[in-house]
Amino acid sequence: MNVATTDLTRRFGRNVAVAGVTLDAGPGVFGLLGPNGAGKTSLLRMLATVIPPSSGRIRLLGRDPGVYGQRRQIRRRLGYVPQNLGFYPGFTVVEFVEYFALLKELPAAEVHRAVAVAVERVGLGDKATAKLRTLSGGMLRRVGIAQAIVNEPELLLLDEPTAGLDPAQRVAFRALLRDLGQQATVIVSTHLVEDVGAACTQVALMDQGKIVFHGTPDELVARGAGTTAAGDAPLERGYSAVLAEAGS
Amino acid sequence: MTSDHEVGPDRASARPGPAPRDVDLDRVWVGVAAEVWRRRPGPVERLAGRLLRSPGLARALVTTPSLLLAWVVATAVVLLAGALATLGTGTPYVALVAPAVAAAGIAYAYGPGVDPAWELSCSVAVSDRMVLLVRALTVFGLNAAFGLAASAASGVATAVTLGWLLPMTAVCALALATATVARSANVGVAAGVASWLIAILAGQAATGRISAAVTTSALWLPCLAFAGCCAAIVLYTTRIPKGSS
Repeated sequence: MNVATTDLTRRFGRNVAVAGVTLDAGPGVFGLLGPNGAGKTSLLRMLATVIPPSSGRIRLLGRDPGVYGQRRQIRRRLGYVPQNLGFYPGFTVVEFVEYFALLKELPAAEVHRAVAVAVERVGLGDKATAKLRTLSGGMLRRVGIAQAIVNEPELLLLDEPTAGLDPAQRVAFRALLRDLGQQATVIVSTHLVEDVGAACTQVALMDQGKIVFHGTPDELVARGAGTTAAGDAPLERGYSAVLAEAGS
Repeated sequence: MTSDHEVGPDRASARPGPAPRDVDLDRVWVGVAAEVWRRRPGPVERLAGRLLRSPGLARALVTTPSLLLAWVVATAVVLLAGALATLGTGTPYVALVAPAVAAAGIAYAYGPGVDPAWELSCSVAVSDRMVLLVRALTVFGLNAAFGLAASAASGVATAVTLGWLLPMTAVCALALATATVARSANVGVAAGVASWLIAILAGQAATGRISAAVTTSALWLPCLAFAGCCAAIVLYTTRIPKGSS
């Protein structure tokens, strides 16, 4: 398993953001659904080694991120797009992607080609030398995705990656996700249930820091069948039904 | 995510016409793009890359907010004005101003408040602690060099010329520790500047001389000990706890 967590908990003061999550994920696209404040972002930040857990165990790519040397090896093979992508307004697209390629310790001889591949892969070839401050929100999102995939990660963590993308870009992005999921473990946190239906092979639903459902998108659809749960699409009804059950 | 309608003018012009069947145009284009888009690092970054043996660390160093040209020029101007004021009045203004200026530079060297991509930089192989260390040392070194030059130019006694270096170390360490713990550069600056102001005023109240804080050698050892404590706080704050994963 590329991701294995056991009883993972994260507290911020008295608030328990993630409450005893046990999760395994191998190659493929893994959707993480849940309402605001469910703990998705805190879970992703722990998997991205940005924050340590308060308790519990994590193993990523077969290594322990609590050990410096192993954490460094994980980070070389990790891609991460945070919910709020910070960027340097004066950098160009290429400079930004190259900056993170260097910080991920890509071999110097491979950096320029890897940057070109990543920028082309997200469809920003014609904006490669544009300053980030001149780009739209959707383009900035794609820049964030480019820096995440520049090292061809084995573990890719995306927090609300389709926010700000227009419908055509979202369709293209789902195709990219499916492509990346052939080799890597891709974990996507999203509010958009249709993204999960279109791209994910596995889905987990979080509520109040806990995983209340883990299965395939079809299994989530089945949970909503024959119920009066709210939703315009079968997946949305499954999502609502599971949340209603968890809350009752 | 690339589709034909997204192909830019540069790329379009790089495709003059039909190609032989055994040529992979995408591969060719990526090779061309990699060369066309290649960024040439400046001499400072190249030198830093050699010294640090890490192109990533060197790139992180040259993106330090308080090492950008505007900030460096502002620091030089403040210390130059201090040197001129010292020449005119005999009061060691450079020694009194330098620690506060350096503390601001240190607080704005690193952290979530000043580095837009800080969250991302916490997930990369080049350790954020190394970035912090390299940036803080470089900002400190540059400010110390500027301060020494301004101090020498102002013609004050040697004791005063060097007397501010240890207080500056302590004030910078406090600014760095506070900024790191509070995760706010502004809080770090406020702590550093306020502490230095209090030290100056306390020295003046005790001796009647405004320069007492930079001429009293009895303060040097406490300053070093205080800087050491602050450094320990920074190391503790930036650690990943063992056994947490």
